[in-house]
Amino acid sequence: MYQYDVIDREFLTDRSNEFRHQVARRLAGELTEDQFKPLRLMNGLYLQLHAYMLRVAIPYGSLNARQARRLAWIARTYDKGYGHMTTRQNIQFNWVKLKDTPDILDALAEVDLHAIQTSGNCIRNVTADPYAGATAEEIDDPRVWSEVLRQWSTLHPEFSFLPRKFKIAITGALSDRAAVKVHDIGLILRHGREGQIGFEVIVGGGQGRTPYVGPTIKPFLPAERLLSYVEAVLRVYNRHGRRDNIYKARIKILVAALGAEEFGRQVDEEWGKISAERADLPAAELARVRAAFAQTKFETLPARSESFEAARALSPALQRFARNNVKPHKQSGYAIVEVSLKAIGQTPGDATADQLEVAADLAERYSLDDLRVTHAQNLVLPHVRLDDLPVVHAMLEKHGLATANIDLASDIIACPGLDYCALANARAIPIAQDIARKFADPDRAEKIGELKIKISGCINACGHHHVAHIGILGVDKKGEEFYQLSLGGSGAEDASIGKILGPGLSADKVAPAIESLVEAYLAIRTGEERFLDTYRRVGLEPFKEAVYAQAD
Amino acid sequence: MKVLTANRLIDGDVVFWKAGRWVEGFGEAELFDEAHEADAEAAVAKGKTQATTVIDAYLIDVAQVEGGLAPVSYRERIRALGPTNEPTHGKQAVGGEVIEALRHAHGAARSTGRVDLIRRK
Repeated sequence: MYQYDVIDREFLTDRSNEFRHQVARRLAGELTEDQFKPLRLMNGLYLQLHAYMLRVAIPYGSLNARQARRLAWIARTYDKGYGHMTTRQNIQFNWVKLKDTPDILDALAEVDLHAIQTSGNCIRNVTADPYAGATAEEIDDPRVWSEVLRQWSTLHPEFSFLPRKFKIAITGALSDRAAVKVHDIGLILRHGREGQIGFEVIVGGGQGRTPYVGPTIKPFLPAERLLSYVEAVLRVYNRHGRRDNIYKARIKILVAALGAEEFGRQVDEEWGKISAERADLPAAELARVRAAFAQTKFETLPARSESFEAARALSPALQRFARNNVKPHKQSGYAIVEVSLKAIGQTPGDATADQLEVAADLAERYSLDDLRVTHAQNLVLPHVRLDDLPVVHAMLEKHGLATANIDLASDIIACPGLDYCALANARAIPIAQDIARKFADPDRAEKIGELKIKISGCINACGHHHVAHIGILGVDKKGEEFYQLSLGGSGAEDASIGKILGPGLSADKVAPAIESLVEAYLAIRTGEERFLDTYRRVGLEPFKEAVYAQAD
Repeated sequence: MKVLTANRLIDGDVVFWKAGRWVEGFGEAELFDEAHEADAEAAVAKGKTQATTVIDAYLIDVAQVEGGLAPVSYRERIRALGPTNEPTHGKQAVGGEVIEALRHAHGAARSTGRVDLIRRK
């Protein structure tokens, strides 16, 4: 993990002090709310329905145990004992007081965490594959490049007031667990013809009001040219992005208007004017950042753990957990363990302070002091020895963290929705809870297989409904909560935008409708088809009939 | 009928206007009926001058429901109660008749708070 140096630490302390003064001036009436609001937003502090919400950046979703414990302490001290993991690998605290925020920022700074650029029209927290450094599929470690971009973009003077917010995601693996094709910039690490490392650069993907799967504007960018090229992309956007209309201000609108080819041409032209020597990262600095991620030495272990095999032969629960939550590791004798924050009936993505501490303890003892947050609102212990799986599973089970449902129907992404969010039109959490209860039977959930259900409480699409196998969008229909279903989206390497199924449904009709969709799928699937595959084969019609014929 | 609401600056808590001061419970809020619209507007004007106390003061519609009064909009009912996924968090934790009436209220309308928020963007 990247270690902050003296400069990083001084910077955070200064920033926290600055915010403390700003809060004091606001409370004393020296700053109006209009003057103060952009300042608090730059520090991740939103005003929501019931309280302030503080969004803390978790760079590329990566935490050590000390940081996770500090987040638990903040949840307990300044919140109501829990935090909410977001679809951008951040954590949000829902019950923060303005007067406490400077103290919270100090507490975060002590463990090298902050809330800078978690809001505002700037480059937001860079997200990455949560299996980084652990998966065998990886061409290079995306955390190295995420950290380079993080340092480069933090308080970047030219890119602090963009037309709109700007989100970058990186994957080093071909399986996309970072939704790179629906980001402002998506980067996929690739090998060049001579084996050199580079990026496929995707620009102008996004969700929200106008969803797009982003086009590739550069099939292969030599890795060492990353910063100058991203600078060129942002310059073209900064110059031509629509500042006159908030709904058309994201880069995706510009890319769609110009066409990917013309946009790419303009970027290349701009890129040609940028001095590589000034803009690109010196090799020595890259080596310094890379060294920070040099893996703690793995032990040399056999590929098969007799103790794990013996334990799982005796425990159907461990067996099920291994089937659904344990993923192959690049190192023999190790595994990646997904920790579900989607227990049946739980608020998706919420972790209590106690659970965060358990995760921290497990990360420290059994996962090389490494804990990840996924964009699907779960946690990951990336480096667990197979020998340790039984004890890790037992600990997780004891604390309600062993739900074996990763990527199954009850592993639902949901934004905070109208239960917390000032922008929401409808609630998302209770809908997710209703649906999860329908698929509580683990045998049935496994029989249904991979099914990604995602719910957003408004068109801003924080709940990623556009890229869900079954997407649910909460709308305000004459003042009532209504839900629009869409099918066939994907945020993975086979990215696609879902299609609307039909008229919206009232809240109590949503979970039964999902049930009908699943029944229809089970009746017509062939072989090993996932729900998404079946939909892609047969289209909307059979599903439309299943939901609406019954409703009449 | 209308009630004046806002969020308190120092902690973000939902507050309601009651005869020149801000109170935390919906049940304590001052009611402005149609005959006293001018009083409601005067309260809004006064509320907006208290910039070091509250943010975003606005009027909401309330109506008689079974067991008491409740905001017409479900957004405002959630503000008056707390999140529905955590029944012990927020104002609803105190329980009682006012909370029960809010919980069981039906009917919905757009919240002026959200409309203002969109307009301001």
